Amino acid sequence: MEDIILENVSKDFGSFTAVDGVSLTIKSGELFSFLGPSGCGKTTLLRMIAGFETPTSGTIRLGNQEITDLPPYKREVNTIFQNYSLFPHMTLFDNVAFGLRIKKIPKAEIKDRVREMMTLVKMEDQAHKFPDQISGGQKQRIAIARALINKPRVLLLDEPLAALDLKLRQHMLIELMNIHDAVGITFIYVTHDQGEAMGISDRLAVMNLGKIVQEGPPDDIYERPASIFAAYFIGETNFITGQVKALYEDYLELSCDDGTGQSFEIDSSFQRPPVVGSRVTFSLRPEKIAISRNKPRAQDDINMLKGQIEDILYLGSHTQYIVRVGKLKFRVFSQHKRVYFDDKALDWEEKVWLFWHDTDTWMIEGDALEELTEAQLSEGGQLSRALKRRGS
Amino acid sequence: MKAKSRRTVLQKRNNLSSWLLSLPTILWLLCFFLIPYLIVIIYSFLTPDIYDVKFEFSLAAYRQVFTGGYLRPFFLSFKLAIYTTLGCLLLGFPVAYYIARANEKLKNTLLIFIIIPFWTNLIIRIFSWRIFLAHSGVLNATLMNMGLISQPLEILRTDLAVVLVMVYVYLPYMILPLYSVLEKLDFTLLNAAMDLGANEVKAFFSITLPLAVEGIFAGTLLVFIPALGAYLIPQLVGNQRSLYVGQVITYKIKNIPRNWPMASALSLTLLLLVALMLLIMYGLYRRHVARRQVS
Repeated sequence: MEDIILENVSKDFGSFTAVDGVSLTIKSGELFSFLGPSGCGKTTLLRMIAGFETPTSGTIRLGNQEITDLPPYKREVNTIFQNYSLFPHMTLFDNVAFGLRIKKIPKAEIKDRVREMMTLVKMEDQAHKFPDQISGGQKQRIAIARALINKPRVLLLDEPLAALDLKLRQHMLIELMNIHDAVGITFIYVTHDQGEAMGISDRLAVMNLGKIVQEGPPDDIYERPASIFAAYFIGETNFITGQVKALYEDYLELSCDDGTGQSFEIDSSFQRPPVVGSRVTFSLRPEKIAISRNKPRAQDDINMLKGQIEDILYLGSHTQYIVRVGKLKFRVFSQHKRVYFDDKALDWEEKVWLFWHDTDTWMIEGDALEELTEAQLSEGGQLSRALKRRGS
Repeated sequence: MKAKSRRTVLQKRNNLSSWLLSLPTILWLLCFFLIPYLIVIIYSFLTPDIYDVKFEFSLAAYRQVFTGGYLRPFFLSFKLAIYTTLGCLLLGFPVAYYIARANEKLKNTLLIFIIIPFWTNLIIRIFSWRIFLAHSGVLNATLMNMGLISQPLEILRTDLAVVLVMVYVYLPYMILPLYSVLEKLDFTLLNAAMDLGANEVKAFFSITLPLAVEGIFAGTLLVFIPALGAYLIPQLVGNQRSLYVGQVITYKIKNIPRNWPMASALSLTLLLLVALMLLIMYGLYRRHVARRQVS
């Protein structure tokens, strides 16, 4: 069953199009995320579902009911606001009871249901306090209780963890998932934090410039990004752009933008095989690449490149190596396990072998250098930036 | 123990310097506020003479306050103060709300418009109202030209005119404190209330109004208290049938034979009533604040 159906929804603010023809179906009970950089339209979309904005065109349905023009207080939808928006002049009890009091539920029932909700969010002993007397994480819990007590069909969460520090964020994320499991209703989650979205979502939609770039389960989007933007925005990646020189059954030769021809073995099960002579981009996740001082045993399905370490960033859980191959730069993540390929740790300027499985070379039609802005390139991949600088 | 005694020493030194610093203010208040008040208090217990007072103790003035037909001016003054306050609140709230929600540039422009009237002398402004409301004034001329009325409305020299001009004069004193609280109001709270099922009206009464209480208190004090002692406006746009306390006090001093004790007793009674009002409002405010500290 579907809970939220968006049909060709657009929203203009003056001459600025915040949301541009979004069509989407969110299933009942799903935890669905909108993910994208600030200004991509995800919050506007959420506000339209909540009823705080009216679409310029298109329709929004909640189950069988069209809610496009309904005011917020007539929708079976509740929102967790970014800054929680707890009512400062009311106790936590009164905050949570607010929705029920509006509906004129009998006092005794309100008391029971508030207590039940406060227990669900583990705040049962704090009901008498005021919002300015509790911590950010606790405010978050009260905001959740205040929304869920109304038994909405859909709960909207607008960057709910953005104001919390890292540890608490990780903790609350798991808590949110547990609450989602406990109440079983549809959650729609908006965030710019891809880690949050990946961790929590059943499905997510990556948004950019008011449009949905890709939607699907997190692993699908991470492993098989459909566009350069999706590959760039979700996780980190190495982009390799170039022209297809020759195409064989299970590998192709790429005329790399650095001028030196490189051949890559790639997964032969292309969805759409590239045309010889067309420009393509490969996305290669840094953690998929293995790094070693010794040349690995040659295998059919392994890509190998020889390079030199240019930079080493020790990050605790893993180390990031910047490896120069010809004029290309690769980012490689290597975890710290006791089992090294050899005993000695890698050092600056050292000659190393990079190798990865052919299925990890993900091909995207298009050109990273054209589709991403300079700023995005500089966050997303030093490699591509280096290429762009040379190209221009 | 040692730490504690050191703190007391520091506190003492602190007390001394703050005393010294506030000395000029204290002297000022003593000379120009407390001593004149003492004079008023003393005069209220003396016996009236044609031009001045005789230094003979008398309670006659106070007896007269309660028995000499002065209850009506007090009643009228209170009614006027209540109408003025309510009028200012009802007109001022939407204005303050609108300014608080306006963008930065419009906000400053509007605030200047609120403040501009202060630059013009009060009497000039009251006289311009007289011209506006007069028998053949701007208002009547306009309404008659539009054919809405056939005979001029007699507004000037009525109680209505007094309330109108009072509201006009005191409106900024209500708008500014309301604006200062509404400006700090987080408007996403209204979104939250509507999200939880409250329509615009319910959201206003459950969120906006309670969060603006401090501004309402401040504005009410700033309007109600001066309105109680109003003299100039009733004198210039009111009529002789409705005399307000401020006018009665003035007549007691202006008209011969003068009655200084009566005027003093009346003003002290008014002062006590205002003090009582303040205490009640302070009590209400404390109760409002105290609700938040139960924990």
